[in-house]
Parts: sequence; C-alpha cells; structure tokens
Amino acid sequence: MINKDLSVEFLGVHFENPFCLSSSPVGNCYDMCKKAYDCGWGGVVFKTIGPKHFLIDEVSPRFDALTKEATPFVGFKNMEQIAEHSLEENLADLRRLKAEYPHKVLIASIMGTNEEDWTELARLVEEAGADMIEMNLSCPQMTSHAMGSDVGANPELCKKYCAAVKRGSKLPMLAKMTPNITDMVPVAKACLEGGADGIAAINTIKSIVNLDLQRYIGLPIINGKSSISGYSGKAVKPVALRFIQQLRSGIKDLPISGIGGIETWEDAAEFILLGATTLQVTTSIMQYGYRVVEDMKNGLMHYMEEQGVDRLQDLVGRANPNLIPAEELDRDYIVYPKIDEEKCIGCGRCYISCYDGAHQAMIWNEAKRRPDCDHEKCVGCHLCLLVCPVKAISAGEVVMKPGRQGDPASKVI
Amino acid sequence: MTRKYTEELERGYTALTVMEEAQRCLLCHDAPCTQACPAGTDPGRFIRSVRFRNFKGAAETIRENNALGAICARVCPTERYCQKGCSRCGIDKPIDIGGIQRFVTDFEAQTGMEILKAGPENGLTVAIVGSGPSALQAAATLRALGYGVEIFEAQEKAGGYLRYGIPEYRLPEAVLEHELSLIEKLGVKFQFKTKVGQDISLAELKERYAAVLLAIGASQAKMLDLFRDNDRVESAVSFLARVRQNHGQIDLPSNVLVIGGGDVAMDVSTTLKMLGVKNVTDVVYEEFCEFLASEKELRGAQELGVTIIDGYVPTECREGVVTFKHRHIDSQLTITVEKIILAVGQQVEAANLELPLVKNEVEFEGYQADTKVFVTGDIAHGDKTVVWAVKKGREAAMAIHQSLGGKA
Ligand SMILES: Cc1cc2nc3c(=O)[nH]c(=O)nc-3n(C[C@H](O)[C@H](O)[C@H](O)COP(=O)(O)OP(=O)(O)OC[C@H]3O[C@@H](n4cnc5c(N)ncnc54)[C@H](O)[C@@H]3O)c2cc1C
Ligand SMILES: Cc1cc2nc3c(=O)[nH]c(=O)nc-3n(C[C@H](O)[C@H](O)[C@H](O)COP(=O)(O)O)c2cc1C
Ligand code: SF4
Ligand code: SF4
Ligand code: SF4
Repeated sequence: MINKDLSVEFLGVHFENPFCLSSSPVGNCYDMCKKAYDCGWGGVVFKTIGPKHFLIDEVSPRFDALTKEATPFVGFKNMEQIAEHSLEENLADLRRLKAEYPHKVLIASIMGTNEEDWTELARLVEEAGADMIEMNLSCPQMTSHAMGSDVGANPELCKKYCAAVKRGSKLPMLAKMTPNITDMVPVAKACLEGGADGIAAINTIKSIVNLDLQRYIGLPIINGKSSISGYSGKAVKPVALRFIQQLRSGIKDLPISGIGGIETWEDAAEFILLGATTLQVTTSIMQYGYRVVEDMKNGLMHYMEEQGVDRLQDLVGRANPNLIPAEELDRDYIVYPKIDEEKCIGCGRCYISCYDGAHQAMIWNEAKRRPDCDHEKCVGCHLCLLVCPVKAISAGEVVMKPGRQGDPASKVI
Repeated sequence: MTRKYTEELERGYTALTVMEEAQRCLLCHDAPCTQACPAGTDPGRFIRSVRFRNFKGAAETIRENNALGAICARVCPTERYCQKGCSRCGIDKPIDIGGIQRFVTDFEAQTGMEILKAGPENGLTVAIVGSGPSALQAAATLRALGYGVEIFEAQEKAGGYLRYGIPEYRLPEAVLEHELSLIEKLGVKFQFKTKVGQDISLAELKERYAAVLLAIGASQAKMLDLFRDNDRVESAVSFLARVRQNHGQIDLPSNVLVIGGGDVAMDVSTTLKMLGVKNVTDVVYEEFCEFLASEKELRGAQELGVTIIDGYVPTECREGVVTFKHRHIDSQLTITVEKIILAVGQQVEAANLELPLVKNEVEFEGYQADTKVFVTGDIAHGDKTVVWAVKKGREAAMAIHQSLGGKA
C-alpha cells in the first residue's frame, strides 16, 4: 500500500493529514470524534458550541435529500442548529479528546449572540484544550437573527465578533463563511481585519429541496409546515469551489479550510488545487461513515505520486492562476467533436441534444444509426461529448474562427 | 454462435460501466462478501474504493490480499463464496464481484502498477514443489517475509491447472503470464522439468533448504475400469492441457462423448463446442437437481449447444459404443462416438514423497508434515479451488515462517 506524507501546516498547527470532520452532527460528542480519529481523520471541528443561555430546540424530522434517477443524496438538506449537548458536556468532551489524542487536531466551533458570548466561548474552548477556533458565522437556520448566516452576511458584525473572539483567546482562528451572499471577499476581509487568521468555506446554502405534492408542503414536514434551510453534499461542490477561487483571487495567499461536497480524493484534490490547505467533510460521512477518509487519503497519495509531489502543500492553489475572468479567455478558435464510430452504439442521444439544446449540427444517419457532425453548423460547444453514454465523442480538430490569427496546434484544449 | 477458444468469453467492464455496477453495491457494514472470500481479498473494501473513484487503492487491496487477484476475478466460483451472501440479493441479484475485480486488476496491469514487494532478505531459502496457485501465493508471501524461494516444477511451464487445466476462453494466456511475471519480479526462481521424487529426491531438498513446501495438486486423472486400454478414450485434463498448449489448434472428430458432471466436464464440453465439434454429448451421473458444476459453467455449455443427459451411469463400453443405465428408472441409452473424454475427477500422484494420503488429501489437519516438510493447495484440507489454493498458500507460508522462528 502506498504511503506518502499527507501532513500540512495550517495557521501554525500541524495536521497529520488535511482531512477533518466539519462542524456538524458527525463530530457531536467524544465517542464520535474518537472513532473518527481512529479511522484516520487528521482533525475534528467539533459541533458548534453556543452560549449557555441560548437553548437549542430541534425539529423532527430535520433532513431531506435531492435524488436524481437512482442516485440518492445528490444534495442534502438539514434544519439543524448548533450543539444540543450542554456547554459543560461539550467542554468536557473537548478536554478528554485533547488528552487522549494530543497529536490530532481539535478545532472548536463556536457561536455567540453578542460580543460577550463570543469572548467567553473563546476563552472556555481554549481552556478546554482546543488547538484552533472556528467561528460559525454562517448557519442558515438559526432561530435567532443575532446568530448564523444573518451575521455572516454583515461585514461590520463579523469584524466586531472576530475581535471579540481574539480578546478571549490567542488560538489561531478561522471564520466560517456563508455562501448565501453574492461576494464573500468583503466579509472575509472584515473577518481578517477583526483578527481571523484564515477562512473556512462554505457552510450550507439556503434551499428548498422537495415538496409534498399532495399536501403542498416543503420537506421535511414539521406539523404541516417546513422552512428554507441549509443544503450540502456533492451538489454544492461547484458553489464551494467558486467561492474559494474568488477568495483566493481577492485576498492573496489566503489560508482556507475548504468545505462542501467532498466525497472522493478527486474532490479533495480540487479544493487543494484551488487553494484550500485543509478540508472538512460532513454529508458524505453522514451517508457513508467515517471510512470515506480511507480512499480520500489513499487516492490523494497516489495522485501526489503521479504528480511527482512529496509535500501536499506544494499543490495548494496550483489551479488558481488558471481561472481567469471570462473576458480574458481566448475566443479565437473552435474545437470540433470527433466521433469514434467503433465505440458508438447508435443511441442517438448526441443527435437529440445537439438538435434540441445546441445547433442542429449532428446529422443522424438513420440507416446506419450513426451520427455525423456538420462543421458548417457546429459551434464546438461539446454538449454532445457530455451526453454520449459511451464517451464515443472526444475533442477533435481545432480550427481558427474566420479572420482570426493564431496557430490551432498551440491551443491547450 | 462462433466463439474463439483463445478469446475471453465474458465481456469486461469499462470505466463507465464498472461504476454502474459498483453503484449497486450497498457498501454494507460487516460486508458479508468480505467475510465469505476464502482468501480475504476483501471485496467490500475494494468495491468501496471503486465507488469512491480510487482504482489504484482498489488494486492495492486486491493484490496485497491475493497474489492471483486477476486470475481469481475470472475463475472463482463466486456464487459459492463472496456473492453467496451478498446483501443486494435482498433487492435483486448479487453484485458482480468477479467482474469488478477483473476491471480493477486489468486497470492495475494497464497502468503498470507493481504492488507486491519483496521484504529484506533473511538469508533462508524455501523450496516449493509445484507451481500451481497455492505454490505461487506461498512464494509471494515468503518473498514478502524475506525468504528466498526456489520452485521445482515437473512441467515445462509454471501455473499448474491455471495453465494445463482451465481453458483459455476463461483465463487468457496473457493474464496468467502477467500474474506470473509479477511473482517472478519478486525474485522467485523456477526450475522446470524437474519432478521431485524422480529427478531429485525429497531428502536432497530437505537437506539443501530451510523448508520444503509440497504443492503438487491432484495432477493425475482418474480412470474408470470400463474405459481402460481403449484408444478412443482420453482424460479431461490431458485433453484440456493439449488444447491449451496448442491454443486450440488440434484435430477433432465430429462426434464426442463426455462423461462427468463437474466443472471440468463443462470445460471439456464447452471447449469441444468452441473448437467446432458438431455433436458433443455429456452424460452425467448426477441428476440436474444435484449437479456439481456451477450454474454459470452449465449455462455456458448449454448455450453452445452441448447435449446434456443427466442421471445415467455407464455400464458397458466396446470401442466407441457406450451403454448407460439410468440410476433410478428403467431406461437404457447407447451412444456411438468417435471419441470419449472422461471427466471423472483427478487424484494425487505423490510417488516417493512420503505423504500420508487419504482420499487425495493429507490425513493431518494444518500444513506441517514433518519438521521440514509442509503441504498446501489441493492436497491440504479444504475446498479444491484456486481461491482456496491462494488461502492455503498464504497460510502454509505463515506456518513455515513460524516454524523457522518468525512471528505470525
Ligand atoms: C480443468 C480444470 C478446471 C478448473 N477450473 C477451476 C475454476 O474455474 N475455478 C477454481 O477455483 N478452480 C478450478 N479448478 C481447480 C483448481 O485448478 C485447483 O484447485 C488448483 O489449481 C489447485 O492448486 P494447487 O496449487 O494445489 O496445484 P495444481 O494447480 O494442481 O498444480 C500442481 C503443480 O505441481 C506440479 N507437480 C506435481 N507433482 C510434482 C512433483 N513431484 N514435482 C514437481 N512438480 C510437481 C504439477 O505439474 C502442477 O504444475 C479447475 C481444475 C481443473 C482440472
Ligand atoms: C446536519 C448538518 C448540521 C450542521 N451543523 C453545523 C454546525 O453546527 N456548525 C457549522 O459550522 N456547520 C454545520 N453544518 C455545515 C457543515 O459543517 C458543512 O459546512 C456543510 O455541510 C458543507 O459540507 P458537506 O457538503 O461536506 O456536508 C451542518 C451541516 C449538516 C448537514
Ligand atoms: S459540439 Fe455542439 S454544436 Fe457541435 S455537434 Fe456537438 S452539440 Fe452540436
Ligand atoms: S451519443 Fe454517443 S453512442 Fe449515442 S449515437 Fe451519439 S456518438 Fe453514438
Ligand atoms: S455484500 Fe454485496 S452489497 Fe454488501 S458490500 Fe458486499 S458486494 Fe456490496
């Protein structure tokens, strides 16, 4: 079995590998975190701890999932708030975890209703032995507007609360962002000004996932009603990656803990290449268990080997320069699709999609049941590549658009 | 339907279709498939790796647990082992574990992975007699523990029944050669055309090596008295070996009788059909309800048009005229054929090897015969299949290691 060093340094803390539980029920108590550490997770972000005076009262049921064809959990909706256990219990769990796993990273997620709360919680979790603090500025379903994503959408409040946390603790501190805003950069900057050392992104996206069509109610149903609440899992990965890229281009070398839909080593590598140093996971653990980390770690090691990289840190942000504004992209050429008639099984899906969703460029040979691309009409959008069930279509001939200069062979396609 | 003997019969998965099959897997807790694999190949684990797109990790799991992973993927009677208790049966049908394993090991070969490693040399060398699957697994395990390994094989080439038994359309030559090359790369030495007990004595091996492992299998065909000294009669293993060595290029009559109802009989019948024999009749002692052959092999033979007659025992044979009687009803059958192939089992041939054999197995439990001699494979207790040979190969290697002072 391959063995490569996956360790990273993040905000001055050593992680034996970048994989952490994100703050959520997957890191709700001592026993769970212990099992996760034993399974090989590098760190844990403990379920968000709130102030003593804020009483948590959860709904039942509290989850729903988006499916597509036979795939369950394309996306996952939850209506949960923060830790249900008492402050004392949570602090005792933190203490015990740090004592028993001194070399694993323990991050305390906290959330207050005012500056005093934030300061006090920061002080308490540092005292309990946490290595790092994560400020939850982003839960979209809190029952108080002084908490959660309402705070995270307000740069001034974020800055104030970050400063409050810094008054309570000297620990390195992450501010966890809500994706329920257009531009994350001003909020992140405000957090850094307030004293945050890095950014965690993203928390869940406000959503309605399914409705009960007979009773006209969103799911899950709580005594005949439902609410807008947080969406996570594979479906949110593209949104998370986009925010991370924007953060890295808005704030140079920003330390980021990446979150949102991580399920495989490939997902993990994408977050790293876009600038995340550590990674956090919830939904795939809820669906499959802590064991998902095994293939993430092993797969990432093989990837490093293939890339000829010995330090994971060397991959962080490698893709950032290759994401540029749309107006800067090279628009001078077209890549025509190439059809492999041997591989083609004659389903005609490329024909349907090109006609109904592209440029009527696929010609269907009814006798042969094979497609053929009319270059006069084809714009090179590659919808056909994406729908072909056997990958019989690939990127083919590159041609310059009429009147454009350049060498088609030099294009990186 | 024409199919080529040298071409693999079953179509393999592609990177796309293997995900569809892996997606059917329920990723069970305490995976029953994993518990049921005799060799500990851990399908629950490697299917999960496929599911999470970690093909290389899947290959590591397979190979580290089973040095013949690509072979087992093709020849394992999975319905008796890993697929038997598959939880997916609660919905429809078991996961095609062999197919997924085949995809992963093909991927491993295509990407040139070399997962098996030799351990630091410990200065001791073990002699292995035979080069069938149990010998090969034992060699890989011993090399990993740092032992030198020298294999003595009576035949010209390595593999035992992997080479001289199982037909090419089920186990392509290239797959066997690749698996062998991985084991050779570990530094295992082979000495061919050397029959122990004849060309070299067991005593000499015991003197020269730290331990001797006998992995001689059941390499001799059983004969029925009725068919002795009849030049139309050939044994199944002799026939299959001949076909395999000639890659299917042999002369055959148009009318052949096969006697026997196990997997070997199915291999013979199917091979005959693939080679273009027009009339292949297989007469079987067992009735269909008590059949020994796996469903897959039986189906394969039937699909190619083999005539299978169940419940008959041969009572008389004169040249090419064979008479059978039904076991339970008053019925008689006479068949006239040009060639008769007997697939009625194999037996151990262990001349001068001082083995206490009862019914083609050693009479003791475990693997150790005396202070220096160990046994494995078909001659040891347990199922007579490739995957069991792998299991026994590893366990016998560990027994040798322990007896030489190593830790389990
Ligand atoms: C036609 C056929 C089809 C089969 N199909 C399947 C299948 O699909 N799936 C499955 O799981 N199992 C199958 N089996 C069973 C499987 O092949 C055996 O269980 C397995 O090969 C046993 O392995 P082994 O290591 O004990 O030795 P073998 O494979 O029997 O090899 C023994 C080797 O030892 C050598 N040898 C013997 N005596 C000496 C000596 N004195 N000196 C030197 N060398 C010697 C022999 O030449 C031979 O190479 C099949 C068997 C046959 C005959
Ligand atoms: C059931 C559930 C509860 C959550 N609770 C918290 C929480 O208490 N604090 C927090 O910061 N994030 C919470 N989250 C958000 C996750 O930590 C994470 O940011 C989000 O789910 C995206 O990651 P994923 O796609 O891997 O699940 C919760 C998510 C889920 C699904
Ligand atoms: S690339 Fe677009 S326009 Fe061209 S054939 Fe494919 S779907 Fe049609
Ligand atoms: S979608 Fe693919 S398989 Fe189907 S007709 Fe088009 S090229 Fe052929
Ligand atoms: S028993 Fe079947 S469904 Fe369960 S893990 Fe194994 S292959 Fe998958």
